[in-house]
Amino acid sequence: MARLFRMLLLGVLIVLGLCAWAWLGYLAVNWLGGVTLGWGWGATLGQAVAAIVFIQLLFVMIVATLLTLAERKWSAAMQDRIGPNRARLPGLGRFSLGGIPHVLADALKMISKEDFLPSQSNRVLYHLAPVLNFAPIFCLFAIVPMGPPVPIRHGFAVLVATLQIANPDVGLLYVFAIASLAVYGVSLAGWASGNKLALLGGVRASSQMIAYEVALGLGLVGMMMTAGTLRLDQMVQTQSQGLFGLSWLPAWGIFVQPLGFLLFFAAAFAETKRTPFDLPEGESEIIGYFVEYSGMKFGMFMIAEFVEIVTLAAIVTAVFLGGWHLSPAIDGGLASFAAVLVRWRFGFAEPTGVLLTLAVMQTAIFAVKVLVLCWLQLAIRWTFPRFRYDQIQYLGWRILLPLGLANVFATGVCLLLDPSLSLLGAVGLAEIGVGIAALLWSGAKSTQPAPAPAHVGSH
Amino acid sequence: MSDAPKPPPKAPAPVAYKAPELRPETLPERAFVPELLRGLAVSTSHFLRNLLFSRDPSPDVLHRRGPNLVSTVQYPEEVAPYPPGYRGMHRLVPRPDGNPRCVACYMCATICPAQCIYIEAGEYPQDPIEKFPRRFEIDELRCIVCGLCVEACPKDAIRMDTGTHCKPTYDRPTIVYGIDRLLKGPAVSHRTDVWFKREGSDPPADGHGHPIPPLPGEGKS
Ligand code: SF4
Ligand code: SF4
Repeated sequence: MARLFRMLLLGVLIVLGLCAWAWLGYLAVNWLGGVTLGWGWGATLGQAVAAIVFIQLLFVMIVATLLTLAERKWSAAMQDRIGPNRARLPGLGRFSLGGIPHVLADALKMISKEDFLPSQSNRVLYHLAPVLNFAPIFCLFAIVPMGPPVPIRHGFAVLVATLQIANPDVGLLYVFAIASLAVYGVSLAGWASGNKLALLGGVRASSQMIAYEVALGLGLVGMMMTAGTLRLDQMVQTQSQGLFGLSWLPAWGIFVQPLGFLLFFAAAFAETKRTPFDLPEGESEIIGYFVEYSGMKFGMFMIAEFVEIVTLAAIVTAVFLGGWHLSPAIDGGLASFAAVLVRWRFGFAEPTGVLLTLAVMQTAIFAVKVLVLCWLQLAIRWTFPRFRYDQIQYLGWRILLPLGLANVFATGVCLLLDPSLSLLGAVGLAEIGVGIAALLWSGAKSTQPAPAPAHVGSH
Repeated sequence: MSDAPKPPPKAPAPVAYKAPELRPETLPERAFVPELLRGLAVSTSHFLRNLLFSRDPSPDVLHRRGPNLVSTVQYPEEVAPYPPGYRGMHRLVPRPDGNPRCVACYMCATICPAQCIYIEAGEYPQDPIEKFPRRFEIDELRCIVCGLCVEACPKDAIRMDTGTHCKPTYDRPTIVYGIDRLLKGPAVSHRTDVWFKREGSDPPADGHGHPIPPLPGEGKS
C-alpha cells in the first residue's frame, strides 16, 4: 500500500514537473521571440531557438537518457526482477533512488572508456557514422508540435508562441525524408568497421529499413487524407472534434484509422531496429553494426535508439492519439478549470492567461501520452521474440504493403462517400471490434488443453 | 522347410522419447496480432503488479506473499535460509583437550577427488605410535563438497556439520583453510579412543562431559 501511494505521488509529481517545464517553455519561446524581433531578425528565429532548448535538450534528451535506465528497470519489473539498484550516491545510505545514479555511472563509463579504432577500418567513415546515425534521428523531432499555439501580446506585436521548432508545410514528408537518412549512418558504421559481422548487420539494417519505409509511408497516407493536410498541428486540430458528434468520443487517428496506426507503428518499430525487428543488432547471432564501437561512439548509437523511441512516440501521439487533445468534453472541462485557476490567481479571467494555462496543461497531456507510448514500446521490446530474417521481409512486403494499399483505398472510398469522418469512424470502430473479437476468441481457443498424446505401443 | 521354427515376431522397438503431438494452430494464432496482444497483457500485468505493490522482503522466496511477484533476494542484506538437509563446510573435530582428533593417516587426502587436502604429519614425542597433523589444509576453492573425506576418515576427525558455506573473499590465499580455521565446534570422544586405554587416563566421556558406560561384554581384566 505504501508503495502504491508512493507511485501515485510520483506520478503526480511528474505531471506537475511537466507542467512547470511547459510553462517555462512557453515563457522562454515568447521572450526569445521578442528579443530577436527587437534585433530585427524576426520572431521565428528566437522562438525556434528557445523551442530547441526546451524540447530537444530538456525533453527529448532527458527522457531518452532516463529511458536507458527505464529499459532496465521496467524490463526487470516485467520479468519479476528488481533491476539495477547498486549504484548509489554518497551520503544517501541505502537509498537507490530508483536506480537513477546508474545513468551517471553509465555516462562516466562511456566517457572514460578507450576510444578503440579497429585496424581494418576506414578512419573517416568510422568516425563519421555515429554522427550520421544520431543527427537525422535527433532532427526528426523538429516538426512535432508539443503544445497548442498561444497568441501573446509582445509590445505592439502579437507573437504566437508554440512549443514546436519548425512548422513547414511539408510536415510529415520531412519525417520520411530525414528518417531515411538514418540508414546511411547504420550501413556506413557496418561497412567502415572492417568487420564481417558488422557489415552483415549494416546490410541487414539497410534492407530492413528500405522494406519498411514503404509501409511507414502508406500507414500515414490514410491519416493525411483524413486530415487533408501534411502539417502535424493541423492534424492535431482535426482530431479535436468528436466522432459522430459525440463529445466523449474523440476523432483520434487510432479510432478512424486503426489499420493505419497498426501499419505505421509496426513499420516505425522496424525503423528503430529494436526487438522484434532487431535483426541488424541480433545480440545472439551477430553483434551488429556497432560491434567495433566503444565508449561514447557506441553511446551515440545507443542514445540514438532511445531518441528514436521518444520521437516515434511523439509522432504517433500527434498523428494517431489526438496530440494534446482528450475528448471534446474533457477539453472543455480543462478550459473552464484553467479559467478558474486564472481567476483565483489574478482576480479576473485574463484571456491570454487562460489560454496559456490551458496550453500548459495540454502540453503536459501530450508529454504524458508520449511517456505512455515509450512505455508501450519498451513493453513490446521485452515481450516479443525476434523475427527470422525471411519473416521480416515477408511481413514488410507481403503483409504490411498490401494492407497499407487496401487501407488507403478504403479510406479514399469512405471519405468520398462521407467527408465528415462519420463513415470512416464507423469503419474504424468496426475494425477495432473485429480485433477485440479475435482477441477474445484466441483467448478462448488457447486455453483449451492440447489433445492427449497417443499411447505408445498400444494396439 | 515349412516346419522350421519361425523367428518370433519382432517386438516394436522401445521408443525412448515420443514428442507430444502439437495442436494445430488456430486461425487467431496464425493471425499473430491477437497472440501478440495477449503476450503484452501478460507482461503488463507483471509490470503493474511489481511496480505498484511492495516486495515481500522475506528471504524465503517460496513463502513470499502478496501481489508483487519479484523473487530477487538482495544478497548481502537478505540471506536465503539453507534447506534443512544442508550440512555445510568441513570442520576438524577436536578432542576434549582441544587437539584435533586427526591422526594424519592421509585417508582423506587420498580419497579426495579434487585433491584439495594437504597434510603434513608429526609425531608426539612421548608417544611414538600416534601421529598428529602438523599442517592440515583444505583448499576450499577446489573442494567440491562431495563429503568423501568424511566417509573415509577412520577416526571421525573430519565432519561436515557446520551448516555454513565458505566465506567469500577477495584474495585466494586466504581461502586455503589451515588447522586454525578448520578446528572448531564441539569436541567428540568415542569409547574406543586410544587415550582412554592408557594408564591413568580419565574415564571416557562424551562431548558434554557425561561418562560413557562400558559395553556389556567389555570386561576389565
Ligand atoms: S569434500 Fe570432497 S573434495 Fe572436499 S575435501 Fe572432502 S573429499 Fe575433498
Ligand atoms: S582421514 Fe581423518 S584421521 Fe586421516 S588424515 Fe584425514 S582427517 Fe585425519
